[in-house]
Amino acid sequence: MSQSAVKLNVGMPVALLLALMSIGLFVVVALSTGETAQLSWQGATGLLQRMVALGLVALGQTFVILVGSIDLSVAALISAVAVLASHLMQGDPAMIVPAVIACLGLCAIVGFVNGALVAYGGINPLIATLGTGLIIQGVLAASFGALQGTVAREFQILAYGGVLGIPYPLLLLASLSLAAAFVLDRTLFGARIYAVGGNPDGARLAGIRTERVTLSAHMVASLFAGAGGLYLAARLQSGTPWIGRDGLYDLESIAVTVIGGTILAGGKGGVAGTLAGVLLFATLDASFNMLGIDAFLKQVLRGVIVIAAVAVHAVRAKGHVA
Amino acid sequence: MTVSPALSMTGISKAFPGVRALDGVDFECVAGEVHAICGENGAGKSTLMKILGGSYRPDAGTIEVAGRAIHFTHPRQAAEMGIAIIHQELSLLPHRSVTENIFMGREIVRRGFLDKAAMHRKAALLLKRIGAEIDPRTLVSSLSIALQQLVEIAKALLLDARILVMDEPTAALDERDSRTLLALVSTLRREGVAIVYISHRMPEVTAIADRITILKDGRKVWTRRADSAPVTEIVRAMVGRDLKEFYPPAPVSPPGKVLLAVAGGNNAALDEIAFEVRAGEIIGVAGLEDSGKGALASALVGDAPFAGGTMMLGGKPTALRTPRQATAAGIGYLPGDRKREGLALRQSVRDNALLTLRSMAGLFTRPFKGALGNAKIDETLRTMDVRAADFGQEIGTLSGGNQQKAIIVRWLEQASQILVFVEPTRGIDIAAKAAIYETMRSFADSGRGIVVVSSDMPELIGIADRVIVMHQGRISGSVARGAGEEDIMNLALGLSGPALGRTVA
Repeated sequence: MSQSAVKLNVGMPVALLLALMSIGLFVVVALSTGETAQLSWQGATGLLQRMVALGLVALGQTFVILVGSIDLSVAALISAVAVLASHLMQGDPAMIVPAVIACLGLCAIVGFVNGALVAYGGINPLIATLGTGLIIQGVLAASFGALQGTVAREFQILAYGGVLGIPYPLLLLASLSLAAAFVLDRTLFGARIYAVGGNPDGARLAGIRTERVTLSAHMVASLFAGAGGLYLAARLQSGTPWIGRDGLYDLESIAVTVIGGTILAGGKGGVAGTLAGVLLFATLDASFNMLGIDAFLKQVLRGVIVIAAVAVHAVRAKGHVA
Repeated sequence: MTVSPALSMTGISKAFPGVRALDGVDFECVAGEVHAICGENGAGKSTLMKILGGSYRPDAGTIEVAGRAIHFTHPRQAAEMGIAIIHQELSLLPHRSVTENIFMGREIVRRGFLDKAAMHRKAALLLKRIGAEIDPRTLVSSLSIALQQLVEIAKALLLDARILVMDEPTAALDERDSRTLLALVSTLRREGVAIVYISHRMPEVTAIADRITILKDGRKVWTRRADSAPVTEIVRAMVGRDLKEFYPPAPVSPPGKVLLAVAGGNNAALDEIAFEVRAGEIIGVAGLEDSGKGALASALVGDAPFAGGTMMLGGKPTALRTPRQATAAGIGYLPGDRKREGLALRQSVRDNALLTLRSMAGLFTRPFKGALGNAKIDETLRTMDVRAADFGQEIGTLSGGNQQKAIIVRWLEQASQILVFVEPTRGIDIAAKAAIYETMRSFADSGRGIVVVSSDMPELIGIADRVIVMHQGRISGSVARGAGEEDIMNLALGLSGPALGRTVA
């Protein structure tokens, strides 16, 4: 009866498969369109740089989805951070550190409010975070006139600088990804996120203070969104109240997380899958560009791929049960 | 003999809206003892354990662990006092490894990081100690229910629990796995653990328990040493109460033609189901929580249909795959969980009574005309004596009895030939109960048939013309009107009937 056949943790292979498929697609498209320049070191880092903003947001989204919640306020928060950073800096390098601290402080507060509404208020996370997102968006649009400014030139090194040919944004994404993966896999906090997401009642009975875990996960998600916002501000030199919304960071961060194998109910998934999902989106974008596919058709194809990817997971899950 | 018991609970009372779940219950358990708690469904066993585990707070009474009074506000505190509870519903994380489950909430940390190697090692030791051959790195979802149960026990042992509560631990286990588990319980007892063992499986209880406490309707009946409590006395103490008078008289005419006949019905939860319902007959279905009596109701109404066997409705072979087909074939369903499955709480009494008529009507039927009009439905509601200030008011504001009557109206309007009731009077006061029994009887007397699934044995004995009893997914026997509760209980416990001697097919 005992199924002692060794069962590998399926998180990694799925991520690996997805990443290989994405890279394969990119290479095939680049070769067939003759854009072999895309396959150079520069092309590759360029491709990876497309991952940074969405990747940062999706890392945070992975935490909240794993804990069984969700965060729709990230798009508005990205805009808020980008605007606030450029307004506080006003081009002055001395203001870089205070501005970054202020932005992350704002994120911590938003994450705390989201988490408190969901964990202690018992409000459905879709509604709670939609609400906070709308509030942020509204305040931002109303006060944008008073919040003009540009980031310091030195701050833009974050987006354009690099070391040994590796752009800083990539290093940022890589190190934060490693940190996130490490936290989820090797720390108490990570284990509790999986416990609460996998079985909230069971976790409570095991003595875990589930509300605190949910709240903390929301704070992580907001801080990652803030990191995404700071990166965008550095790249664009100044923030506008619409960069988050126009980038669809809320829905796309959820999409790539789920494509990566994290289940919406919580308790299963991880960082590797999410990064693979982000890579898939980045290669799709790049491939569509090389192929010169119409922007609207691009949207349609993205939609098809999101559904197909999640359907594959659903079929695999069913097969597992049987 | 001055050693204070490992656990002592005194005068524990707990009330929920409308129910007195526990009323001044005393209970104690000493180290190295297995103390069994027996009682019917709803006797208060699980409530008592939830209080002990810190999930509920008692309204009155004191709990002492090793002589110290305690007040729990979070399950964590119970765990810290060395109380481990193995719950009826497993509380495992399916997508995580056995080790991660065993250490859930109590992970080993070294220099701020999880020490996975140490946890795997310790998990392997724990599993070995309870004789479970499980690789601690296995995902829990790939384990059988029996092995998952062992993981739960390993989880409890990790705490070095001095008091171990097991709530129906063998409910999901087969004969062989149950025996392994009981052997494990004996081992733990020898190690000096105080074990509270909740079960309604008599053979198990008499085999393992040192002392037995019987709960009934939230009160303690008695506590005795197991060797001075024969099974017959236990069963009598569990069921012993008077038949109430408010059941309608039995019909004078014998039942008519066969309306429904099932033969060889089976699905994941049911096996070899065969019975028939005749016109004018009320068939009761009895059984314990996990006996499959609920699954039988779901199968009859097409919710979780039979996978095999034959079903004849009015002499014609019929296969009901969906509730819609069952409704069209003349079977009506009154679910046990009215709020979740029976009612649209925020809609009006009228809307709820019209629910099936509307859903079965053609797409282009004119609403609010004829049978779908207010006048017609209001009249039926009034005939059924549904009490509401206005039939347009939300049904959620009505009492349980009136809600149930409105659901009966729903099926009367649909002209159903057979009604399947599940726990028809759960949460309904005495007066309304009598009215519902009257309605059931008159429905049957008008030449139609009723199947009533209930955990309330006096109710089944009072209302049913025949009671079929279920045990482990099969019909273990049936008793005619006039049988006693003990006859039913013996069948339900698998103490008599065909289930006892069955061989594995």
